Amino acid sequence: MTVTEPVKIYKLPQSKYIDNVRWLPPLSAFDCLYALAVFDSDTNTPSLEIHSITKPNPQKPELHSTWLSPSRISSLRVSNSLIAAATYGGSLHFLVPDSAEGLVESGRENELHTGGIASVDLMEGECVSVGEDGRVNVVRVRDGLELTGVFDSHGLAAYSAVKWASPTEFVTGGYGFGLQWWDQRKPGGPVFKFKANWVHGANSGIVHSVDIHPSRKHTCLAGGSAGTIFAWDLRWPQQHIFLSGVGMNESTTHSPCESEVWEIQYDVYMQSSNIKASSAWILPVMSCSEDGILAVVEQGEEPIELLAEPCAINGFDIDKQNPSDVICSLEWESVAILTRP
Amino acid sequence: MPGRVSDPGETSIVPVSPKPLEPVNVPIRHGLTPPISRVAISWSNGNSLRVSFFRQPSSTSNTEEVGGKVVEVKLSDGDGEIDDAKWRRIAYGSATPFALLQNRKNLSQLPMASSQHHRFEWWEHVMEFSRGINSLLGDPLASVDSIIEDPRMVVEKVEKPTNLKAAWELMEIFYADKRSQAWLPERLVDWLTVIDYDILLSGSCETVHSKLLDFQTDLDNIQVVEDSPKYWEVISSALAVGWLEIVVKLLHLHGSYQLDQLGNRETENGLVEAIAVLISKMPRLRPEMLAGKLGECCQTKPDFAKAWERWRAQLTKLDCSAYWVQCDHRQTREGLRHMLQIMLGNANSLNDATCHWIELYVSHLLYIRPFTAGLESMNSLAQKCIDMKPISSPHKLMGLLTGILSESTEVVLGECSRAFGPWMVCHAIELLSAGSNQAEVLLHEEPYNLGGISIEVLQRLAYAQVLSSHELTWQIAPIYLASCMKQGMGLLEILLYKQPVQHKQLLLKNIEICRLYELDSISSNIMKVAGVHHWKHGRKGPGVFWLQQACDEVRLNRISQHLFDFVGKSISDESFKQWDRLIELLGSETRIAGGLEFLHKYRDFKRSLQHVIDAKTPDAARQAVESLILLMKNPSTPQRFWLPLLHDSLKLLNWEERPLLNVSQTTLLLNKLQELSMARLRPDFVESDLPPQALSAVRLALAMNLGRAILEE
Repeated sequence: MTVTEPVKIYKLPQSKYIDNVRWLPPLSAFDCLYALAVFDSDTNTPSLEIHSITKPNPQKPELHSTWLSPSRISSLRVSNSLIAAATYGGSLHFLVPDSAEGLVESGRENELHTGGIASVDLMEGECVSVGEDGRVNVVRVRDGLELTGVFDSHGLAAYSAVKWASPTEFVTGGYGFGLQWWDQRKPGGPVFKFKANWVHGANSGIVHSVDIHPSRKHTCLAGGSAGTIFAWDLRWPQQHIFLSGVGMNESTTHSPCESEVWEIQYDVYMQSSNIKASSAWILPVMSCSEDGILAVVEQGEEPIELLAEPCAINGFDIDKQNPSDVICSLEWESVAILTRP
Repeated sequence: MPGRVSDPGETSIVPVSPKPLEPVNVPIRHGLTPPISRVAISWSNGNSLRVSFFRQPSSTSNTEEVGGKVVEVKLSDGDGEIDDAKWRRIAYGSATPFALLQNRKNLSQLPMASSQHHRFEWWEHVMEFSRGINSLLGDPLASVDSIIEDPRMVVEKVEKPTNLKAAWELMEIFYADKRSQAWLPERLVDWLTVIDYDILLSGSCETVHSKLLDFQTDLDNIQVVEDSPKYWEVISSALAVGWLEIVVKLLHLHGSYQLDQLGNRETENGLVEAIAVLISKMPRLRPEMLAGKLGECCQTKPDFAKAWERWRAQLTKLDCSAYWVQCDHRQTREGLRHMLQIMLGNANSLNDATCHWIELYVSHLLYIRPFTAGLESMNSLAQKCIDMKPISSPHKLMGLLTGILSESTEVVLGECSRAFGPWMVCHAIELLSAGSNQAEVLLHEEPYNLGGISIEVLQRLAYAQVLSSHELTWQIAPIYLASCMKQGMGLLEILLYKQPVQHKQLLLKNIEICRLYELDSISSNIMKVAGVHHWKHGRKGPGVFWLQQACDEVRLNRISQHLFDFVGKSISDESFKQWDRLIELLGSETRIAGGLEFLHKYRDFKRSLQHVIDAKTPDAARQAVESLILLMKNPSTPQRFWLPLLHDSLKLLNWEERPLLNVSQTTLLLNKLQELSMARLRPDFVESDLPPQALSAVRLALAMNLGRAILEE
């Protein structure tokens, strides 16, 4: 896995704080769209902006449309051309980008969670949301919204990340490096639970992001505190596979960072070095962190650093149409677009 | 003379404008219907005020009307040149070069590293820092690339540079760049010409640049340029300030160059060309010529002296030439001879050709005193020029320049602070202290009246306060605070304590900063605050998590009492499942959990009891008894759980095959039961919601077990 050509990096200063960033499917053949959840500290207004760029030279983005949000956007997901934006105020909004009218809000739930939504995920018109209040909700977006509250732990548990595995199953992550597997057909609580057993002493952590590869639904990937990235295979629920993290005795793991891993995603662009990989082999993972590292980590390999910044990288997204392109949001009010050769 | 009140204008180093600032009216739209009974004003983030309006509580039952409104009013910083977002970008960008420089400073002070570091002169590090900062303040003015060069385009319209960048470059030239010390006058000429800072002065008064711009617009309407007196005026002005390329370009617009006129205006054209050639051969004392610039470069003083004499001789020769008589065109003749006078350094001509004193100053440096060296002589010349062309409104760049030339660190600092704010002072001090020993002493001494801290530290702290006041920049303040040995860490602690804990992301960023600066106690205090915050808002899981991270046994014990109230009331096998999550969060038994440790053992006991009911094997039962005894022995098991625990284990006590508890175990349990009966008399006793016969049932079971156990032994 040698990178011969350098990665092209374009930085776009925004003069607003970037809360979230996602690629959007293009409206026409020529443009390339991304959505930014921004917060303008001068006017105290949070909003969702859609920008378009032209490919070979993304340096001059154009503002396509704007939607004013009632509070800052904590989580942003895109599925086909539906956008789900969750806020720190606890509301959930569904938006559709329209080439004529800009962003059209097609529905909203005002008080899904108390004290803010931590994370949402969208799949085939169903949106699952979790929060630190310990609630798990599923909202169905078909001809109006239909809310099905899945679970309420009354604050005894807190969730910070969620991801659909199938139209009925999803995985959540939370405090104490815990992961939970849920099945909507079996209500009343998580079906499987995983608890970090490597935590000794005072330092436990929080899972900030989870991901599931569409072809390997049994493996949940999680990233969180202290540079930790691990995988949990449902077929061996008592074990975990460590990809990175501080304080690991295993000499085979290389940690690209030591602080919070804010987001992780399977990197479909990177070819796995292990061609005859069994289904237990973990595919390459991209992660971004508080200490400003955007890197690709693979089991048993040296991590490949794509970007090293003096400030935190708070989030990123890999373009599904064109997985060589990555967009990431930097703490210091700017966005970086990476084009891999 | 005793009792004389000294005139502040004479003694103050930095001129203080005597007239007070005009009050600014800021209209606020609050949208409330009057009457408004109360208005409260407080500071908000950064530079904004928070104004709260309260209406009179109306007696008419109009409930839809809001009772008040809070409006944030942004107060402008008075300098519209750089907006807030741009300032933030500068702040972000300068943090890294600053941190790098401080790092190197600390390294170079280590004795072992010195030998390695002396190869790299300190000023080169400072220059690297300065270049890093400079690149943030605006791009180098790139001229617009046009494929076909327009011969009539004399001045390119460029984006207006900022005063801040101009000021920074001045500081760099005079303090940081040691290579420029030998040719300061030329650097100053470059500063004004190459970098086009003349534009900046245009705002307040006429300058050569504004003259050129005016002429540029007129140029389209002028057919024969050499007939226009303005053409010659502009040429002389541009020549005086040394914009040689523009002068040559203008000269080439002269009508005698046109093919149809070349024949009958041969002499005239010859004279124009001769001047153009002389201009492009002007000797300059500098290490190199910038690309595209005219002039002949001389690197050493003797070389330059020779070239200068030769060039002057050529000028004089041309001035005395007989060709002037043969030139028929009056304007051309006079214009060209005037240009010669400028090049020959005629003081009156220079004075006429220039507008601003700095332009006059540059023209003197170019044509009259090219050998000027040293700040002292540069300063006296500057004073002379200021006297000759006094200006009504002082410009902030000129204030800084005069401060630099007069070698007064205090004035330079004062001007930086007054005109450009805390960011400039904080970063420019790095250049100043690299500039001279005297400045370094001044900046680093710790006088009593500053509270025992140096000016350098004071300014850094002031800048860090500015950063701290904004929600987006507070995270870079630690870099500056950590570089201050005195006071810095204390302020950093205050800053970290001040940050809100509600948002997980912000909280974690805060804790990360604590980790970087090894502030473990602060970090654990912040976690405690976060834990209590979550707990208060009903998020028990995160509350327990943070208190556990902070190893706060005292608070964990306290909240465990509250939790047990909750557990005790709703304990049934079904609802206990919910507690599973919390127990899992508590982690393995090695982790500090305070009173919550009980929950763990309780869960284990419940599980083994369930196992007994399912399997009914003596092994499982024995194991359950072990857990029960452990629980009852443990001091952290709350008293109110004793009876429910024993009641739950009635099955074990009445085990049919043989007694599961031995004599001593049964006695222990009986003692506990006795203790419980005594405790009942106390007013704070919490009754469990078990059936009333529970106690007697347990007592009977224990008595029977004791009897059977004695028999067996």
